[in-house]
Amino acid sequence: MSGGPASRALHFLAATALFYGLNAGPNLRAQAPKPTEYEVQAAYLSNFGRFVEWPAGAKVTGSEPFNVCVLGPDPFGLLLDAALKGETIFGAPMVAKRVAGPEDTSGCRILYIGSSKSERVKAILASLGTAGILTVSDAPGFTKLGGMIQFVLEGDRVRFEINLSAAQRSGLIMSSELLKVATAVRRTGQ
Amino acid sequence: MIGIRNHSIRQKLTWMNMLVSGAALLLACTAFAGYEMEDFRVALVRNLSIQAQIVGANSASALLFNDPDSARNTLAALKAAPDILFAGVYGADGVAFATYSRDRGAPLATPESVLPLPDAPAGRTEAHWFTMDGLVLVRAIEFQGKRIGTVKIQSGLTALRDRLIGYAGIVSVVVLVSLLAAFVFSSILQKATARPIVQLAETARAVSREKTYSMRAPEAPNEDEIGVLTVAFNEMLGQIQERDTALQAARDELEQRVARRTAQLEAVNRELESFTYSVAHDLRAPLRHIQGFSEALEEDCGARLDADVRKYLNSILESTRRMDRLINDLLGLAHVGRQELHLRATELDSICRDVVRDLAPETQGRNIEWRLGHLPVVDCDPGLMKQVLYNLLANAVKYTRPRDPAVIETGQTTLEGERVIFVRDNGVGFNMKYAHKLFGVFERLHRREDFEGTGVGLATVQRIVHKHGGRIWAEAGVDRGAAFFFTVGSPVPGRNRDA
Repeated sequence: MSGGPASRALHFLAATALFYGLNAGPNLRAQAPKPTEYEVQAAYLSNFGRFVEWPAGAKVTGSEPFNVCVLGPDPFGLLLDAALKGETIFGAPMVAKRVAGPEDTSGCRILYIGSSKSERVKAILASLGTAGILTVSDAPGFTKLGGMIQFVLEGDRVRFEINLSAAQRSGLIMSSELLKVATAVRRTGQ
Repeated sequence: MIGIRNHSIRQKLTWMNMLVSGAALLLACTAFAGYEMEDFRVALVRNLSIQAQIVGANSASALLFNDPDSARNTLAALKAAPDILFAGVYGADGVAFATYSRDRGAPLATPESVLPLPDAPAGRTEAHWFTMDGLVLVRAIEFQGKRIGTVKIQSGLTALRDRLIGYAGIVSVVVLVSLLAAFVFSSILQKATARPIVQLAETARAVSREKTYSMRAPEAPNEDEIGVLTVAFNEMLGQIQERDTALQAARDELEQRVARRTAQLEAVNRELESFTYSVAHDLRAPLRHIQGFSEALEEDCGARLDADVRKYLNSILESTRRMDRLINDLLGLAHVGRQELHLRATELDSICRDVVRDLAPETQGRNIEWRLGHLPVVDCDPGLMKQVLYNLLANAVKYTRPRDPAVIETGQTTLEGERVIFVRDNGVGFNMKYAHKLFGVFERLHRREDFEGTGVGLATVQRIVHKHGGRIWAEAGVDRGAAFFFTVGSPVPGRNRDA
């Protein structure tokens, strides 16, 4: 897991994971191992930014890195770094960053909240306010608590639901393309 | 088309018109239809490309967030395009992500058409190709500069085929109607062109068949080449007619002139003959006197005369006898000219035998081999014919005198369908250089010292043969014998024809 070829292979696995659904051919299933839930989540994290528009004062540009931050317990390990490696968004290189607390999130575009305790999540979201950070988590009830994107498992498929109001409160505009593939879109959240 | 070669020019013109207009029309229609079809194909590809772009753009999030249902929904919108038989969204690894098939379970939805991505555009964003039953278009799905998948759309060619059939129908109708119109128009128009030619041909045929140059082809209504041809043809006929008339007049004139000349010649000839006859006749009386008195002188004074005088006297007597013969021959020749022919069927064989018998005194002591072949029975004057054979056989006897044995042959042969009687000998012959003089009066090819004669015999023979409407000629070589040939009217045995 350290070194070029290994990480490239991991990246490949993450990319191909996109196609592991009901339509994947049985022969392919036999050939490649099924990517883990967190590999898929890491891949999704690398793509969310592409369907979100940040407010006028905070447009994504190539002048600064596009930070994908992880707060709290990190379920990805190197998976996120592998998924983001070499990826750019509007010219900005994507970088995985671990942050200690909500006060440390100033440069973050996306914040993945690793904690699953609702009080903790609530506190983090509250302290973030409407900072223009796309919040993502797989904590149950995340969107109900005011989070924007929550990973959910549908069978063995990783999917997500969206709290559109929360995003709008933070000045983020989500693309209809993103909403289209979400399992649920909340428009009235706390 | 080969069978048309002998058709009339009218049919040829019609065919030609129809063929030309039909071919031109077919070519134009085909070119137009071809251009339209190509245009339609381009439009078809463009439409399919647009649809592929739409599908690709709407499938980006579905691909990135693994939502085949969303992609399927996008694909399902293709239902609105009835020609699209199959569409598929494929992941970056080429694996089918979501598919759409117009006719589920139809062959097009088989794994072959779904699973592999044949010739996915490498380096290009789009490729298309036509298959037996459709158009396949493959386009890369790009999202924010990154290739995330491929869309493949297969369209049937029903529209193309429908349009092709439509064009074929229109073209056939247009060509058919145009050919019909061409046929009608050309039937009308060819009358103006073909009729004068046909009339010209008919006139030419009639002229050459009936040889009447007074005919004229009907004037062509137009001043085109055919009109010129007709006028020229008629002028030519006029010229031929003029020449014909002039030729006929010249011939008539010539005939008249010949007849006139012949009459003059005949008159002169008759005068000449009567002159010859009277001279010969009148010469006879003084000759008789000279002869009579010379003989009297010899009888009365013969004994008293010395040898020299007697020799002179003998010479005179000899000369008078020869002159007598000459006069007799000339009278005979003149007689032949004046005499009328008494034709009757005559056996030349018996005449020939008579002549040989008559020649017995001359042939006494000679070794002569007679080869008397069969001679025909012919219509002729027997007396005159006997003179002919007598002269020819006497000549043969005379000019074979140096030969031992002499061979004299008579017979008949056929030359170019004509009966020819010949008398041949192995005598001294003559030089063919002088053959033209042979039958002239007083013409002799040999010295009198060698062979006696008056030079009148062959002239008499020729005159008799000519009088019978025949010809006579000779073939000979010096010392190689001579052969005389003559023709005499066709043999009509048993028929008297006294003219």
